[in-house]
Amino acid sequence: MPLRFLVPVFLLGLASLVIPIVVHLTRKRKALVVEFPSLMFLERVPFQAESRRRIHHWLLLLLRALAVALIVAAFARPFLQDSEITAGMAGGPRELVILLDRSYSMDVGDHWERAVGAARDVVGRMGPLDRASLVVFARNADVVIRSSLEGSRLLAALDTVRVSDESTAYGPGLKLAQTILEEADLPVRELVLIGDFQRGGWTGDEGVVFPPGTVVTPVDLSSPAPSNRMVASVSLVREERGGRDRVYATARFTRVGGEDPESVETVLEVDGMELERRSVTLPANGAATVTFDPFNLSQDFTRGSVRFAETDELAPDDVYYFVLSPGRAVRVLVLDPAGGRGASSLFLTEALSISEDRAFEVQVRAGGGISSGELSGVDVAIVNDRPVPGGDAAVALRSFVEGGGGLVVLMGEGIRWPSELADLLPGAFTEPRDRRSGRGGRLGYLDYTHPVFEIFRGPRSGDFTGARFFRARELQLADPEASRILARYDDGSVAIAERSVGEGQVLALTSTLDGYWNDLAQQPVFLPFVHQLVRYASGRTEVVSSFPAGQVIDVTDARAMATAGLGEVAEALAGAEERVAVTPSGETLVLPTEGSAHFVRLQEQGVYEIRPPGNSDIRPLAVAVNVDLAEADLTPMDVEEVVASLASAPADEESVQRPGGREARLLREDQERRQALWRFLLLGAFVLLVMETLVSNWISRSGARRAFNAGS
Amino acid sequence: MASVSTRPASGAQLLLPEVLARIDNLELLARTVVEGFLNGLHRSVYLGLSLDFAEHRPYMPGDDIRRIDWRLFGRTDRHYVKLFEAETNANFVVLLDVSRSMSYGTHTVTKLDYARYLAACLSYFARRQRDRVGLVTFDDDVVDYIPPSAKNLDLCLHTLHRARAGRPGELRKPILKATESLRRKGILVLISDLYEPAEEVVRAVRVLQSPGHDVMVFHLLDPAELEFPFQGASNFRDMETGEDLPLIPEKLRDGYRDLVSAHTAELRERFTSGRVDYALLDTSKPLDQALFRFLLHREKKRKAR
Repeated sequence: MPLRFLVPVFLLGLASLVIPIVVHLTRKRKALVVEFPSLMFLERVPFQAESRRRIHHWLLLLLRALAVALIVAAFARPFLQDSEITAGMAGGPRELVILLDRSYSMDVGDHWERAVGAARDVVGRMGPLDRASLVVFARNADVVIRSSLEGSRLLAALDTVRVSDESTAYGPGLKLAQTILEEADLPVRELVLIGDFQRGGWTGDEGVVFPPGTVVTPVDLSSPAPSNRMVASVSLVREERGGRDRVYATARFTRVGGEDPESVETVLEVDGMELERRSVTLPANGAATVTFDPFNLSQDFTRGSVRFAETDELAPDDVYYFVLSPGRAVRVLVLDPAGGRGASSLFLTEALSISEDRAFEVQVRAGGGISSGELSGVDVAIVNDRPVPGGDAAVALRSFVEGGGGLVVLMGEGIRWPSELADLLPGAFTEPRDRRSGRGGRLGYLDYTHPVFEIFRGPRSGDFTGARFFRARELQLADPEASRILARYDDGSVAIAERSVGEGQVLALTSTLDGYWNDLAQQPVFLPFVHQLVRYASGRTEVVSSFPAGQVIDVTDARAMATAGLGEVAEALAGAEERVAVTPSGETLVLPTEGSAHFVRLQEQGVYEIRPPGNSDIRPLAVAVNVDLAEADLTPMDVEEVVASLASAPADEESVQRPGGREARLLREDQERRQALWRFLLLGAFVLLVMETLVSNWISRSGARRAFNAGS
Repeated sequence: MASVSTRPASGAQLLLPEVLARIDNLELLARTVVEGFLNGLHRSVYLGLSLDFAEHRPYMPGDDIRRIDWRLFGRTDRHYVKLFEAETNANFVVLLDVSRSMSYGTHTVTKLDYARYLAACLSYFARRQRDRVGLVTFDDDVVDYIPPSAKNLDLCLHTLHRARAGRPGELRKPILKATESLRRKGILVLISDLYEPAEEVVRAVRVLQSPGHDVMVFHLLDPAELEFPFQGASNFRDMETGEDLPLIPEKLRDGYRDLVSAHTAELRERFTSGRVDYALLDTSKPLDQALFRFLLHREKKRKAR
């Protein structure tokens, strides 16, 4: 194996070898300066400079010259050229990307073992100059090892990879592989895709374009789909009984494949205790529903699960986790006109009182002023066709809205609005206007993208066209940019508009809800509309009982955390209070108290706990995470279809390997990188320089000692 | 070495430079040295250098009984001691070189320290003889000038104490300047390392002699300046000019010694012929040689008179 240099031009630096010699011959001995009273006599003595031209310390010169030579050689990047390697790499070294599916469906049978074995085989077949990256993917993709020549590292990394609880999505993994292959400079690029090729993970529009000439090698591990049963969904319906929440859990079980009906035991667990066990018969490719006996919900963040007593081959979809907290009713204060005796709010209060889970707590107050004390603890205040006094009442109302309260203003006959609160309303209202022609006015436009009307979006989800409006006020928007119109009458005038003020919302209805100015209260949509209107005005976010595995939440985003039922965590973190998240497997993550967004990836199935660090009596907050059931569909897709979709254009001429061209350069570079002889040379130079320092110091000290002895 | 070989006189160990270097008070140093030195000599020979009668005073316990005037005792039946006037009341001035080269010293003391001790001792000794003492320190100019006076010993000692070697030196110019102030005949003692050609040194000293002064020259050299014992190639830096000269001392040693010997020999010869008392002092040797030389000089002058 002859010695070669990758950058031989650096060998010109060997000319610097003369430097130590010149230093030896010309250097003045700074260390031995002798102060003498007068050079009067010394200057008269005949002077000979012969000693300057003599090398005194051959050892020092040798050390210095050798150190310089080694440094120069290191810069020239030497390597031992192995012609066998070069000859053996007919196509040139490869840039390999091993893309390993670790979705939870890979846990079926021996899929995972086979997948890891296949990856090991690929690593074992790597040529000496091949580089490989290991990328694992499920819903998200991660690079475990990037572009490594060392097979041992890749094998060690394969030992650490585990099946996740996420579903399959080919897009992220393929995109990552594309990036690695695009940045590679080796002549041959190859992607080895190892997985069970579930059709559910393939959308067909992954948008991956590999560099020209990339070879895609699939390793298909799919097997005939076994019979698989799963907990498809769990519906948790609440009912208020005697001031307590009762929850009815209804689970839907499905079965894919199989031939004969199968009877299986299902279990409902709450807070770790088995509450009920039910037997259910699942037909082949069929489903069954079980409604468990209701259980009381007394504590916040109550954890529960519905599971099969015995798991099948694909275990993660055999359980469904949920977290529930007792609901708190939305507190509504209806401000009625004086002497109205509740007639004007009859429909309103009745509509709000009708709900299974006691969602609203309504209080009616007729006439009188409005004080901050009355508004304390109220979520939504409804000004129902009554005058609003100015002064303290106006201040209290403004403070209420700006502090996050919801205000609904029904602009009937008796509405009077103080000028100091004019900016609270979306605009100024006019005198009532009658629509007596025909059968009155109708609602001509509804903004179905708005949360209030979103539930009415679908067909047969609610019809507002039946409602007749005989009288209404006109609302002239003060600032169209700051306001949003939710509904208009058929003549284009505003029916409902909203405006955000501080943390709260103000919704203005230009008609009433009492049955006099319109007949909306007599329409079937009235009840859900009022519920939606008040719920939206309260600003409450519906808490999600579970998240899919792989979901990423930003713990610094208060709104996102509120959706997870963790609003107080966001508040605590914003207040610089420490919190830790404990994953279902017991790993502890410290949540940052400051800084920019911090994302926590809910990758494991189960229940994540979030609590202050250390031991605490406080009941931990919890988030349930379930696997995506799309992954439970093990139907494979045609591998050829995948390969055809990923096939890249053939390699262009430039990338064709030519002996002595780019390929040869890469080979030389790789050999040099692999051997890294420059490190040893630099190490040797360092050792020599250390020795040179020691020898030099010893010589200086002994010289100084001699001079001192002579002087004394 | 070309200097006079001496040994510390018996009982005069305090004359060793390394011992003197521990005494910070120059007056104490001078008294210790002079008294110790005198005690080590045959006291009777030099006792009572001043023989001119001045007055009588009543005998006090502790007075030397040999000084009792027995004749007066016979007449008055009381003991009186005879007091003598000083012999000359001459001016005694030390001219001390404080150029930068005087700060050189490879031994316990530098040349300047040694010169300081010597000047202090001579001044004290002269004052003990009731001479008027003065001091001139110089480098390339006169640095301090203290006119000779019977009261100036303390001032001289103080000035010697704070004398520092700083600037490059020169002989002729400051000596000429000092001579203009020293009109009255007296004893002038020049203490220097005399790093100038012998011709220049002699010319400068002649300036001192011209008003009729008795001149003594103490030529101070460090042992390293006499022997040049250095080894190994070194840069020799002139302390006064800062000039560097790279040398191999071993190769120059003999030549250097020859030149120094020739220089001192020439000085001795020319000073002797010019009736100037010259002494080459090695700063590693005790002070008694210098003091002895000084006493001899005084005695010689007294006899000549």
